[in-house]
Amino acid sequence: MIDLARKILFHDKLRLAITLCGVAFAVALVLVQGGLFVGLLDNASISIDRLDADLWITARNTPNIDFTNTFPDTYVHRVRSIDGVARADNLIVWFMRVSLPNGAQEGIQIYAMDDFERWGIPWNVSEGHVADLHAGRYVMIDDSATRRFGPFQAGEYREFLGTRMKIIGRTREALSFTTTPIGFMDHSYAQAVCPELMNRTTYIVVKLNPGADKDAVIAELRRSLPYNDVHTKAQWASLSRRYWVTSTGLGLNLFLTVFLGALVGVIIVTQTLYSSTMEHLREFGTIKAIGADNGDIYRIIARQAIMAAVSGFLLGALLTAAARPVLDRLDLKLHISSSFCAAAFLGTVVMCLLAGAISFRKVSRLDPAMVFRG
Amino acid sequence: MSVLEAHDLTKEYRDGSAVVRALRGVSLSMDRGQVVSLEGRSGSGKTTLLSILGCILTPTSGTITIDGQAVDARRPTDLSRIRKRSIGFVFQHYNLIPSLTARENVEYALNIRGHRGRAARREAQRVIDLVGLSDRAHALPADLSGGEKQRVAIARAVAGNAPLLLADEPTANLDSENGQAVLALLRDLARNEGRAALIVTHDPKVRNIADRVLRIADGVLSTDEATT
Repeated sequence: MIDLARKILFHDKLRLAITLCGVAFAVALVLVQGGLFVGLLDNASISIDRLDADLWITARNTPNIDFTNTFPDTYVHRVRSIDGVARADNLIVWFMRVSLPNGAQEGIQIYAMDDFERWGIPWNVSEGHVADLHAGRYVMIDDSATRRFGPFQAGEYREFLGTRMKIIGRTREALSFTTTPIGFMDHSYAQAVCPELMNRTTYIVVKLNPGADKDAVIAELRRSLPYNDVHTKAQWASLSRRYWVTSTGLGLNLFLTVFLGALVGVIIVTQTLYSSTMEHLREFGTIKAIGADNGDIYRIIARQAIMAAVSGFLLGALLTAAARPVLDRLDLKLHISSSFCAAAFLGTVVMCLLAGAISFRKVSRLDPAMVFRG
Repeated sequence: MSVLEAHDLTKEYRDGSAVVRALRGVSLSMDRGQVVSLEGRSGSGKTTLLSILGCILTPTSGTITIDGQAVDARRPTDLSRIRKRSIGFVFQHYNLIPSLTARENVEYALNIRGHRGRAARREAQRVIDLVGLSDRAHALPADLSGGEKQRVAIARAVAGNAPLLLADEPTANLDSENGQAVLALLRDLARNEGRAALIVTHDPKVRNIADRVLRIADGVLSTDEATT
């Protein structure tokens, strides 16, 4: 069987190139924007996902892990006394100012605990020992801080809210949605550095006993701490992620970018398929005169649309893959899951078929008697 | 045996408030192996008649039987089925598909008519050989001369054994020599392969190969004369 759809599509190579560029641009835009957004959202909950806690106790109405409020750190004793709780510790997450050697000041988000190792954070230590954090005014800083703080090394000192702290190690992958660099220090030293935190904490993290009734423990925690909120790990991660989608313009921004990307793709494919159909109208008329019906011609246009979609998607995916190293260098995490990729592919096919629908209308009204006209 | 029987065909259409009668009670029949020339001035109704006989347009009234099958103009799918099975068209402007080679143009027409795979390729090659284009089978239309294009168009029309060939001014865009060759080819194909060929033309040379000459004026088929 002669594949007329492919023959027509590949006969005009310039038109084909324009079509594929349009689809590839739209696909790359959707994949990169979506991937960056998901990557950022991953950062929004990466500490929650990595920290080995079943429950998070927060100050009332804390919106996400980054924007914290304080409450008395002695509440942890109440938590530890509840049946089903295997262990509970205070966790401080707090923004501080760091004075840099060049005289500038930058923000840092400090995670402070008494026993980091027990909770599994920081999860990727590239230099130094986490246990040493308790030994003095010491801090570990994530590599991602280099972009803002400039180069730094273990053994150097930085001033945190006017207090000199020694850098004793480096971590990787400790990131936040706000892109503020993350550092780790001992709970009591964090309280000492920042007077606001004296005898206060921002979270209590809870590990349950194996087999403990989670709902019962949560109910008891809510009864014991009536002015706090209690979340499961999944709930807290979801809340922290959802905050950025719904409470800022970022969700709408992403939607608009994806929508505009898809719109650009639809317009380009519609324009090229339609002009191609118009240019080949006489051929379609001939095919109809020979005996083909509208369905045969719809299939030709649909096949062209699908071929443009598949080729354009592959090209767009290649463009996205090529952009990944550049984004990595900018510390921008591109997270494209297989389900997102599949949805983008399906969307591309649907987009191209919709673009072909206008050509369908033109062909359905085609009078085969046109073949007898000059 | 009669391939085409048309009886009392009329065609009317509206042009603003006026009703134009393009065909008025046209009747004709054609047998296998017969070449018929249809002559007439521009606007005389010959292209309308060709379109109706080719099941592209439907008559306002009258009946048509092609290869023993009555044409039911009320069912468009019937019309396309009859076009596929029983009618081969040769157009004045060739109407070849530019992205397909000569042989592929013929093979694609066969695909539409329901022939697939090797059988379609073999038949396409057979008719390409038949019209003397064996060495141009893989050329694109843009690389063919006018005469060669018309030969491909004829090959496309005869592929698949359609008993009725309808040709619309097949020599209009050809020089005299190529025109003669194309007409001879149509005559030979009609006679040797038992097809009936109706040639709509202004070209007096067609009379030389036609068994009958029909004239149409103002929608009336006025003359039916045998030439051989």
